[in-house]
Amino acid sequence: MSRRLRLWILTVGGLGFALLFTAACLRLPDFGGNSHPYGDRAVGAALAHHTANVVSAVNFDQRAFDTLGEETILFAAVLGTVVLLRQTPDERQVRPTPAQISVPIRRYALTMLPVTLLVGLYVVVHGQLSPGGGFQGGVVAATALHLLYIGADYRALERIRPVGLYEVGDAVGEGVYLVLGIAGLLGGSAFLANTLIPYGTFNTLASGGFVPLLNAAVGMEVACAVVVLLAGFLDQAVEIEKEAGT
Amino acid sequence: MNVWLVTASVLLVAGFVPVVWGVATGPLGRGVAAQNLGTSVVCLAILLLSQGYDRPSYVDVALVVAVLGPVGTLVYARLLADELQDDPPHTRLFTVSVVCVTVPVVVALCLAGGPGRAAAKLVLVGVLLVVGNVIASRALTGGFSRSEVTR
Amino acid sequence: MTDVLVLISLLLVAGSATAVVAVRDPARQALVLAVLGLTLTVLFTVLQAPDVALSQLAVGSALTPLLILLSVRKVRRPGRCEGGDR
Repeated sequence: MSRRLRLWILTVGGLGFALLFTAACLRLPDFGGNSHPYGDRAVGAALAHHTANVVSAVNFDQRAFDTLGEETILFAAVLGTVVLLRQTPDERQVRPTPAQISVPIRRYALTMLPVTLLVGLYVVVHGQLSPGGGFQGGVVAATALHLLYIGADYRALERIRPVGLYEVGDAVGEGVYLVLGIAGLLGGSAFLANTLIPYGTFNTLASGGFVPLLNAAVGMEVACAVVVLLAGFLDQAVEIEKEAGT
Repeated sequence: MNVWLVTASVLLVAGFVPVVWGVATGPLGRGVAAQNLGTSVVCLAILLLSQGYDRPSYVDVALVVAVLGPVGTLVYARLLADELQDDPPHTRLFTVSVVCVTVPVVVALCLAGGPGRAAAKLVLVGVLLVVGNVIASRALTGGFSRSEVTR
Repeated sequence: MTDVLVLISLLLVAGSATAVVAVRDPARQALVLAVLGLTLTVLFTVLQAPDVALSQLAVGSALTPLLILLSVRKVRRPGRCEGGDR
C-alpha cells in the first residue's frame, strides 16, 4: 500500500469521524442541569451513614468492592515492577557517590520532609470529611520520604527505607482491607458492608463507620507501594549497572 | 461570577499561558523555571477559586500544590543538573513576581474570611508557596553543583 | 459566567496536551507532562471535583517526572566512567 493511499484513507476516515462526532456532540444534553437521580441517591446514602465527603462514601462505602479492585491493580503493578527491575546475576551494585547540594536546599528538604509527611497523613485521616482520602494522602506521604533523595543523598534515603519492611506494609494494607470486608460478611450482612461499627457524629473525625478504617488501610498500602516502586527505579538508575564485558 | 473568580481567570490567563509557552519552546532552563512559576500560579488560582466558590475545603488542594510543587522542581534540578549548569535559567523575575502577587492575594483572602483557623491555614499555604518557590529557584540556578564524581 | 473559567481551563489543557505530543526529547516531555498535570488539576477544581484534582496532583507533580527521568538516566548512562557522568 503506497503512502499516498494510506494518507487518503486517513483523510477519509478522519473526515467521517469528525462529521459523526460533531453531529453526536450537538445532540448531547446541556452541561449541568436540575435532574440528578444518581446524585440524589448517592448523597442520601452518604448522609445516612454520617459521611461528610460523599466521594469517599461512594469509594469506600457504596462501591467499596471497586476500590478493592483498584487497590489490587496497584499492588499487582508494583509486584510486576519489582520482578522486572530486580538485580539480575549479570548486574552488580556500585556505591552511589554523593552529590554536592548547597546548604539552603538541604535544609529545605530536611524541614519539608516532616511537613509533607504530615500533610499526607492529614489528607488520609480527613478522607471522610474533606477532599482527599487514602490514595491521595498515601502518594503525598511516599513523595515526602523521597525528599531525602532529592535534597540530600541516596544513601540517607536507603537508611530510612528498608525495602523489605515496606513490602510487608504494602501487603498488610491490602490484607487489612480484605479482613475488614470479611468482617462485614461475618457480621451477618454482606462483604464490605458498612454496618458493623457506629456511624458517629457527622463532620467529625470519628464518623462514617468503616470509611476511615478503609481509608487508613488504602493509605498505608499506597504509600508503601509507591516507596517500593520508586526503590526499584532508583536502584536501577543510581546503583545497579551491568557487569563490564557483558 | 464574583470578583474572586474573575481574579482567578485573569491570573490563569496572564500567568499560565506564558508557562505553557515557555515549557514547550526554548531552552531547557527556561522550561524548568516556567514549571516552577506554574506551580505558584496554580496554587494561588486554587486559593482564589476556593473563596469564589465558597468551598473552604478546596484550600487542601492548594496546600498539597504548595508542598508538592517545589518537590517536582527540585526533582528536575537534581536529575537535570548537568544540562541546567551549562545554561542556568533566569528566575529572579519570576520569584519576585510570585512574591508580589502572593502577599496581596493571601492578605485579601484572610480579610475576606475573617480570623481563625481558616486564616491561619491560608497564611501557612502562602508561606509554604513562597519559600518553596525561592528554594526551587535557588536550586535551578546552581544549587546542585557538578563535582568530579557525582550522581 | 463560570463557563468562562471552564473554557479557560479546557483551553489550557488542550494547549499543554498538544505541547506534550509536540515535544520529542524525553526529559522535556517529563517537564511538559508536569505542566499538563497542573492544568488538569485546575480543570478538575473548576469542575468541582477536588478529590480527582488531588489524585492528579499527587501523582503528576513529583512521582511521574521522577519515574521518567530515572528511566531516561538509566537508558542513557553507558556505565560508570571516571569523569563523573551523572
